Amino acid sequence: MFENEFVSNLPNITEITFKPINKNYLKVILLNSLLLFGAILMGIFIANHYNFLDAISPYVYLVYIAFIIVLIITILLLYFGFKKRKYAVREKDISYKSGLFFQKITTVPFSRVQHIEVDESPLSRFFKLASLSVFTAGDSSDDLDIKGITKKEAIEIKEFISQKINE
Amino acid sequence: MNNTFDFSQFSKQSKKGILIIYFKLLYKLLKAFWVLLFLFFQKFSKFNQTTLFYIYLGLGFLLLFFLIRAFLIYQNFQFKVDKNHFILKQGILKKTNTSISFDRIQNINFKQNIIQQLINVYEVNIETAGSNKTEISIKALSFQKAKALKSQLSFHNSTIIKEEIVAEKPFLKINLLELLKVSFTENHLQSLLIFMALLVGLFQQLEQLFSGIGKDHLLNEYIEKSSSSFHQSIFVFIVLIILLIFIAILSSFVRIFLFHFNLTVFIKDQNFEIYQGLLTKKSIILKKDKIQSITVSTNPIKKILGISFITFKQAVSGKVNKKRKDKLIRIVGCKKAQVNRIKELLFNFSEVDQLERKQVHVYLKRRMYFLSFLLLLITNVVFYLTFLDKLVFLTNILLVPLFILIVNLIFNKRFYKISDDVLLVGSGSFDTHLTYLPFFKVQNIKMMQTFFQERNKVVDLVFQTASGEIKLPCIEKSEAIKIYNYTLFKVESSTNLWM
Repeated sequence: MFENEFVSNLPNITEITFKPINKNYLKVILLNSLLLFGAILMGIFIANHYNFLDAISPYVYLVYIAFIIVLIITILLLYFGFKKRKYAVREKDISYKSGLFFQKITTVPFSRVQHIEVDESPLSRFFKLASLSVFTAGDSSDDLDIKGITKKEAIEIKEFISQKINE
Repeated sequence: MNNTFDFSQFSKQSKKGILIIYFKLLYKLLKAFWVLLFLFFQKFSKFNQTTLFYIYLGLGFLLLFFLIRAFLIYQNFQFKVDKNHFILKQGILKKTNTSISFDRIQNINFKQNIIQQLINVYEVNIETAGSNKTEISIKALSFQKAKALKSQLSFHNSTIIKEEIVAEKPFLKINLLELLKVSFTENHLQSLLIFMALLVGLFQQLEQLFSGIGKDHLLNEYIEKSSSSFHQSIFVFIVLIILLIFIAILSSFVRIFLFHFNLTVFIKDQNFEIYQGLLTKKSIILKKDKIQSITVSTNPIKKILGISFITFKQAVSGKVNKKRKDKLIRIVGCKKAQVNRIKELLFNFSEVDQLERKQVHVYLKRRMYFLSFLLLLITNVVFYLTFLDKLVFLTNILLVPLFILIVNLIFNKRFYKISDDVLLVGSGSFDTHLTYLPFFKVQNIKMMQTFFQERNKVVDLVFQTASGEIKLPCIEKSEAIKIYNYTLFKVESSTNLWM
């Protein structure tokens, strides 16, 4: 938390401690991608089984190998990318950072917040997780979107910000 | 307060409004079906007497139907002022009741398109703040009534500028000769692109229609035939280029004359009142608080003539993308003194000019060189594959210096200056754009870094405002963090009105 009454006391974004998002959300991400990959695998299998892939059927094992490599890379990226997703709520603003190769950090000051949304997707709900979206004026569609924090905390942050806005 | 009209009872638009609505309906119909009409005229001689009779009958019926519809729309469009609310009811079958409280009203603008000019009525647009609801547009009011309505609506609302008639000397007036200068020095390439976009839109409409009646192969054949003949001679190519240049310059002229004809700007209580337009006359009120950022642009020829144009970016309410173009307001042909005056009026813009230029990191140049190299490689491959002739590699003699020139221009024009209150970002290639952004207008701030940027310790900064984003690419990370923190500090400690 910080004071910002004087220039000498600039709030420093590099000095705050960012919180990682809920570990359970990794399960949600992995489950989601496994579902997608499962569907694709099923597609390839059926296509092969009913001889849609006549032209390449002798090499169909290559398709499977490529599939597995893509799957492994995706899971690795998701896993290490997940560790980079962090957020921080301070006295007057909220920040979120993410990205493995493309790092990005966004900060929204509370005084510019127009409205806040808490959403739960079906899978997230199972783990009692939610995502918090913060909107500002103009047509910047999603200013800040923190996915995968506990629903309790999402609501707490929402209340906190609303209270700050109304001050 | 102007009490010549009684707005406490429901009243309708001027009777001439029926005509305006009628033309608007017909225009919409024409826009949707103009290709059909074109086909009809083409086959006109092939129709026999009876078919023609039925076509005319149908057409007449259609015209009558729209006339009745226009009358009904007019009949059902009623508005009144009641206890600090503007109330509007409209709709023939589906009735809509809209009520806007005075303090939600942001602006009242008058507008006149060519038909409205002919029959001497004004369109009154009421802009509301913050809601996604459609803005209210009353299509036809006499000038007196429009003025009276405006004064009624603004009587209890301090945010609307009162008094309509401006007697004092205009701050800026662009006469015909100056407008000619402006249009001559425009970015013709941009005009060409806009013109092309229009053509593509037209083409898509055509295509849709042809595919709709199952004749799209006709169009494709035609295009194939004409495009294959293009390849055959360089002569056609040169003629085409000359034609394109001609079209580009012509479209600049047309664009500038239509939009900015008789441009007059008044300054009143630190707000701008802008009047302009040939076919569609517009009066716009630009409020100081609503301006998010301004960009002063010029190019080498404009510099010689001593003119530049200023683009004002206003806050966009809600997520109305379609209306966004209207929120961009340009004042063309500003002289240096006028630019300075505008800068003085808005925040501390003149202060920041005095400061030292800070160049962005040289990494930006390297990145652009790398990207241009990739682009060149691709174009070379594509050229070679289409023409299968080694001679095409000669184009590189022209392309490589061009790329180097552009990269250097872009890099040299990318700089920034920071004063206590304002960020100044320079950009452009052949043009020069200076964007002034007061820190407290920022909505959120982003810092982005790619894998390659990380090794060079540079980042991109993005300032999101209520009217779009302003990017500051490739600056040193330590510097960027300072700016990041400072911007947040400025936003969080500001009590100024930002929208």
